[in-house]
Amino acid sequence: MKKILVRPGGALASRPLHFFWIVDCSGSMFGEKIGAVNHAIQSVIPEMVSAAENNPNAQLLVQTLKFSTGASWITTAPVAVEDFAWEDLIAGGVTDLGKAFELLTAQLTIPPMTDRALPPVLVLLSDGQPTDNYKKSLDALKNLPWGKKAVKIAISIGQDADDTVLKEFTDNSELVLQANNPEALIRMIKWASTAASAVSAPASRPAEIDAPKGATFAPDGVSSGGGGGAPLVIDIDNIPSGDDISGGDVW
Amino acid sequence: MDGLLKSGEFLKSESGNDYLVMDFLGAGGQGEVYSVTKGTSKYALKWYFKHMATKEQKEIIENLVKEGAPDDTFLWPQDMIVQSSDSFGYIMPLRPSEYKSIVDIMKRRAEPTFDALSKAAYNLTLGYRKLHVMGYSYRDISFGNLFINPKTGDVLICDNDNVAANLSPTTVYGTPRFMAPEIVVGKDKPSRNTDLFSLAVLLFYMFMLNHPLEGALEAKIKCMDIPAMSQLYGTKPLFIFDENDKSNFPLKGYQDNALTYWELYPQKLKDLFKRSFTIGLREPARRVTENEWLDAFANLMTGIVKCGSCGVEVFFDEDKASAGEAHTCWHCKKVVSIPLILHIGKNNVLLNAGARLFSHDLNKDYDMETVVGSLIQNPNNPNLWGIRNESNENWTYIKADGTQIPVSPGRSATIAKDSKINFGQLVGTFEKLG
Repeated sequence: MKKILVRPGGALASRPLHFFWIVDCSGSMFGEKIGAVNHAIQSVIPEMVSAAENNPNAQLLVQTLKFSTGASWITTAPVAVEDFAWEDLIAGGVTDLGKAFELLTAQLTIPPMTDRALPPVLVLLSDGQPTDNYKKSLDALKNLPWGKKAVKIAISIGQDADDTVLKEFTDNSELVLQANNPEALIRMIKWASTAASAVSAPASRPAEIDAPKGATFAPDGVSSGGGGGAPLVIDIDNIPSGDDISGGDVW
Repeated sequence: MDGLLKSGEFLKSESGNDYLVMDFLGAGGQGEVYSVTKGTSKYALKWYFKHMATKEQKEIIENLVKEGAPDDTFLWPQDMIVQSSDSFGYIMPLRPSEYKSIVDIMKRRAEPTFDALSKAAYNLTLGYRKLHVMGYSYRDISFGNLFINPKTGDVLICDNDNVAANLSPTTVYGTPRFMAPEIVVGKDKPSRNTDLFSLAVLLFYMFMLNHPLEGALEAKIKCMDIPAMSQLYGTKPLFIFDENDKSNFPLKGYQDNALTYWELYPQKLKDLFKRSFTIGLREPARRVTENEWLDAFANLMTGIVKCGSCGVEVFFDEDKASAGEAHTCWHCKKVVSIPLILHIGKNNVLLNAGARLFSHDLNKDYDMETVVGSLIQNPNNPNLWGIRNESNENWTYIKADGTQIPVSPGRSATIAKDSKINFGQLVGTFEKLG
């Protein structure tokens, strides 16, 4: 039977949301650390797909960047989250974080970035201690328009991680999430993945804005008891987009 | 992924019922939702995250359970489970699977007809009106909090756990894009009047598949982040069809739905949207009320005609007809002939085959369920049509010469030139327009 046209027009217009996994694959990540990262990211993908299905405002596009001796894209182009499959990464080599920032900078330049989008989300997973001179390339990244607007989250892997560079990356120590064990890693990765929906289709804004930040923003606040239900509440006011962004800064 | 509750766990409610936790259904900003059973009946259980399980929240739910649901449109808290002061949840009816979210409609995964869409708009407005009548405000009208049966236009309103007496302390500020400007700029808190703004946004989304404030000014913004959203929806909101300032007019290639749909609706509906997002942006007390919306939707529901050439639904526009303009089909572009109209008060009922009159048409009681009249062919003379009295009241048929004939329930009044029907409160006249 021929399908009868019911109403004209298309779907609600949406904007692309670029989500980047930036994964440290240096020698210090070898073994269980990279194994846990591979498992945790793979297991969060179905939840990202489901969140994207319920988000009318964004087209969620995912890219993966790895760095060790040098840096390279695993995905050559942004992949729609429903088509995205995690490719297991193998660790070995030095920690050329600066190279990763250079590739990110190139990717966040217009073009290839579109000039209309939602704030990109950059999730850096690392145990710190870069071996190259990353400062110049981090500055370049942060000076890009899209680099400035990006939501930058770091996940610190393992108890022996050095968070110095992760704090420099996020500009906010609260956005350096501690993953001291595999369960915590899953929680943090899940939480970071929800930042994608929080920047595009923010959930109901709870009125408890006076609560300690840890309770409404950082994942640890609600991970106690209840079997680690990750907080899906991101207080929209608390998503940092850089100190230099003022209320009138709309472009 | 571990949740707050475990499948197979038994929970005892405040009213002494035992519920068995079955499946995890989903998570939101405040907590997680599970399916549970009590005997052979299935329910939904919302369980709060610890940091959201506040004393205020608990009191709100206790009150809602005590007061009971306004009607079965609401997936209302009906029982409470309390494990400790910061660990609790509530039982509500489970949503049947034929109900779809507004996101499904926005993404075109659910495709209601214009008739079903008009009914859904009517039903959900009626639902929020009930809450307001009872002295409540809802506080978080948005995509995620209601469901529509795209086949029938029936609606279910969920997430009622923020519902509380209007102007009482709030547990929620609302959802971005739906929050009234005065909340976005931090000047006010959710109230009945901010509900009216959110309702207008929701209705606009449903009919237009576009946000009422996202026009050229939105297209110009590169990065849609918090400052941008604060400006668009808070500090500098401008309706996309504001006639006094066209700088936010929808842009072709970016907001095509807005341009397409605006042309399809009757002027009276467009006027309500205009008021909602011009005067209503600045003056909360002058927003379009539920009754005004309901009257408009009731008219939409009885004002649809199918294009004689291609069969799509076209809305009758009284203003257009009065101005002598023809109705053209949005799909095949041919002229659509408008059937005879029964004009009752402010309502126009198009006398299509199978047309029915609802209680609201005759009694202004907002009951669009109870059928009180129908279009019927005279069994003895197929050339004659009449309006059959399906109500329990007597009507009076007034012939062109002034003769009055009673029309008791079950009888029909013949449709004839210059004849009228006195329905009691209102008189119906037949008009050929357009």
